[in-house]
Amino acid sequence: MIIATRKQLEVIKEMVKGYRKVLNVGCGGCTSVCLAGGQKEIDDLCTQLTVSLKGDQIVFESAGFTVERQCEPHFLEELDEIVKPYDALLSMGCGAGVQFLAERYPNKPVFPALDTVFIGVNKNIGWYEERCKSCGDCVLGLTGGICPNAMCAKGLLNGPCGGPQDDRCEVDNEVSCAWVKIYERLKAQGRLGDIMKVQPAREWQDQVQGTLVLEAYRDRYAKKEK
Amino acid sequence: MPGRGSKSVDTDQIKALLKKNKRSMKLRLAACAGCTLCAESCFLFRKKGKDPQYMPSYKVLNTLGRLYRKNGKVSRAELERMRDLLWKNCMLCERCYCAIGVDLPKMIAFARRILRSQGIEGIYPHSLGAPEGEDG
Amino acid sequence: MWLAVVVFTAGIAYRIAELFLLTKKRERVPWPKRGIRVDSPEERKLRPIISFQHSLIGKHPVMAIVSGVFHLCLFGAPLFAKGHALLLRQSWGIHFWSLPSSLVDVLTVIVLLAVLFLFARRALLPRVRAVSGLHDFLLLSIAAAPYLTGFLAYHQWFEYRTVLTLHMLAGELMLIAIPFTKLSHMVFFFFVRGFMVSEHSIARGDRVWSA
Repeated sequence: MIIATRKQLEVIKEMVKGYRKVLNVGCGGCTSVCLAGGQKEIDDLCTQLTVSLKGDQIVFESAGFTVERQCEPHFLEELDEIVKPYDALLSMGCGAGVQFLAERYPNKPVFPALDTVFIGVNKNIGWYEERCKSCGDCVLGLTGGICPNAMCAKGLLNGPCGGPQDDRCEVDNEVSCAWVKIYERLKAQGRLGDIMKVQPAREWQDQVQGTLVLEAYRDRYAKKEK
Repeated sequence: MPGRGSKSVDTDQIKALLKKNKRSMKLRLAACAGCTLCAESCFLFRKKGKDPQYMPSYKVLNTLGRLYRKNGKVSRAELERMRDLLWKNCMLCERCYCAIGVDLPKMIAFARRILRSQGIEGIYPHSLGAPEGEDG
Repeated sequence: MWLAVVVFTAGIAYRIAELFLLTKKRERVPWPKRGIRVDSPEERKLRPIISFQHSLIGKHPVMAIVSGVFHLCLFGAPLFAKGHALLLRQSWGIHFWSLPSSLVDVLTVIVLLAVLFLFARRALLPRVRAVSGLHDFLLLSIAAAPYLTGFLAYHQWFEYRTVLTLHMLAGELMLIAIPFTKLSHMVFFFFVRGFMVSEHSIARGDRVWSA
């Protein structure tokens, strides 16, 4: 799940205070689940902005509307009429959602109310942890289900760095060394041989915007090759 | 996406699933006082003109509640109706709130599981008006 | 009378036991010290307003007040009625506090008015009607009956002995109904809001559902 966290109120205020009417668009997907951009958070932010900007003697009006997911054009359709009277939009979706909104309404400034921080899991209410870096080359099968990219601070692919103290990472001793955990997991499963498989260096050069088209759908979007 | 044709409903399978969590689910269903204070916690209820069909209690009582009441003896048509309630009327964002403390998302998730066991899958709308690809 | 109290006590005990059996203590894992999002000064300043907005009384002021007052008087009237206290003293020698009868009378009237409100709400509001069945109205009547008959008995309207008998029967019926119907929300509420780990729990929460 995509985890995001709300920007501080002061930062959001700076973004929107030049506008009189702002629509706060929420998302019923990931950001609802991680308590960052759902309906409740929309209500909160509208109240906070209204009260705070009133205190600063700034004329400001905001309303909230939550769509099912901001990453789906189908779900954004109902916004088309709703956004008309507003000067700007504040999106409480993840980075992808903000951009989809901005694309759909190119004549309206769209501001992000959240910082998208990682792909992660719910440990418990209000406690989220990163698990995936979406590197596009998953090696979890060889590391006993522990991602060396996300869980190792240095992203090492072939074993620990020699820095861990008491199984803690030398970069931040609040976290465990991922490779110690990988070793223990593989040992428990009798798969230590996998650690010996050397992974080549990752190709980090290509940072062009990612695109993925499934083979079965290709013909819908491009002419069939002769 | 339609369910898998007109396969008949496997009542025994539904019953087995219902039985697994019978005590906790029935406790929750029994505890529901029908107060509808959960309604405002659902963003879909709020934006779909406060239509009662989007109330978390309505969704749960008419899906899982109905499955338990009829002990799994439901028709395909009823299951299709439940599919709408569970997937169209609910995003499983888990933000619904019950004044008494009934765990609504768990019940929706369980009902979805039962429907999936009967080959009825979720509705995942495809993007409409997708842009044309480049030629050649 | 005995039967009703026994059934009630056993039933409530069963419900509470059930809740404990269906849950388990949450797994204690060390709390992380990194990544804690701290509220900014302005956010902290506005916290009371935000908390109020999300509370029950902030979101549903009418229901919160009516329900609160209703439940208070619901417990207050029978617990502190002079007649009940007298019976307790006569039967079991327990000296229990009681309130002036006129006050208890007022509490009873409040209960009855609240019941009327809830009845109307259930019958008139389409959203509540959508999740209501005959049993909901029946249960409301069962809950109201002891208070109505108690009121009638106190004011000695109609034939006293009959009304009094009806009052006792109504009370017993309600006591028996509590553990077996949604009226057991009286136990559920405190358990779930107090013990369970949840976004909405009042306390920190120590238990999770095992099913």
